[in-house]
Amino acid sequence: MADVIGGFLVPHDPIMFSAPDAPDREKAQRVWEAYEVCARRLADSDATTVVIVGNDHYMLFGTTCLPKYCIAIGHAEGPIEQLPGLTKQQIDNHEELASHIASHGAENSFDWTVARSFTVDHAFSIPYQLIVRRAEQISGRQIKAIPVYIASAVDPYITTRRAYELGQQIASAVEAFDSTDKVFMIGSGGISHWVGTAEMGKVNEEFDREIINLCCEGDIEGLVSYTDEQILQRAGNGAMEIRNFLCAMGAVNPSRGTLIEYQPVREWVTGLGFIELEKS
Amino acid sequence: MKRDVVERVLWNLSVDRFSKEKFRENPEKFLGRFALDDECRQMILNFEVDQMQKLGVNPMLTIGYWMEMAPDRRISSYNRKLRADSVSSHSASPKR
Repeated sequence: MADVIGGFLVPHDPIMFSAPDAPDREKAQRVWEAYEVCARRLADSDATTVVIVGNDHYMLFGTTCLPKYCIAIGHAEGPIEQLPGLTKQQIDNHEELASHIASHGAENSFDWTVARSFTVDHAFSIPYQLIVRRAEQISGRQIKAIPVYIASAVDPYITTRRAYELGQQIASAVEAFDSTDKVFMIGSGGISHWVGTAEMGKVNEEFDREIINLCCEGDIEGLVSYTDEQILQRAGNGAMEIRNFLCAMGAVNPSRGTLIEYQPVREWVTGLGFIELEKS
Repeated sequence: MKRDVVERVLWNLSVDRFSKEKFRENPEKFLGRFALDDECRQMILNFEVDQMQKLGVNPMLTIGYWMEMAPDRRISSYNRKLRADSVSSHSASPKR
């Protein structure tokens, strides 16, 4: 039986790549090192596959179709953007497991949008290249990755509770998959950040630490209790990405999380949190 | 809705090379393809990103379009434009 064995919650901040020297050097270094910690822990695990839960930033899905949740079941590549230090590359997708998650969902009230071919953006590529590919280098073994995109940045948003339930469905599908795969989940998103709004550059450290504490305590009800308006007002449109965290947590069902690193980096316009999820 | 058609235009201008070329060649003619009223057409022609956000347009599109198409593509100029007429702090929320 395949199983979900753990996970991470990490940011996907493209400004780290376009303006790496903008923040204080030590602060920046701690963020880069946090990715390396995640890569080492993934390398040390038995994971064969990673599901990365990210979100479109209104580049991949246009106004003609805005899926609540989408899974890449075939060829995948990316990122779509040109970012120094991120290489455009094919993704070693676990196509059989991805297809199984979609078909399992259809039988269990989760009607996935599927992408038979898919180009990811930085929400997937940053954790993929800094954690998954790096873990392959460290361990010398192959780790596949499945792109899952949920509506966390473009409304109509997936609800926080539905994002969590979607993660639960992913876990059920994995457990029903006839293989010995061990799956890690990565919830890819920043905490407070304002993208493209007048407040861009603000970071709300108080809010960030609330979210980190709730994630570390595995307090799902606490996380879903924030209304969209509360999130938007206190932490910006980027903070809607805590849905990506909830989806990963729904799959891992963590008893608790361990904070690896937190840095509020105004120069990179984001509260950047790294948490490891330990399975119950 | 106004918001929807403005988002369609901005998405095209953010990601579609053909649309970008046509807009640069003749913006009025390019915008003629879309069911825009005069107010929205002027917003797009004049890069009124603050007004677009008041209309409910997603800020990820306004910044993408600015960085691709504005005469002065710098983020500092974009920020000045937005902050000159402060937009609601939750301008990303779904609008009517």
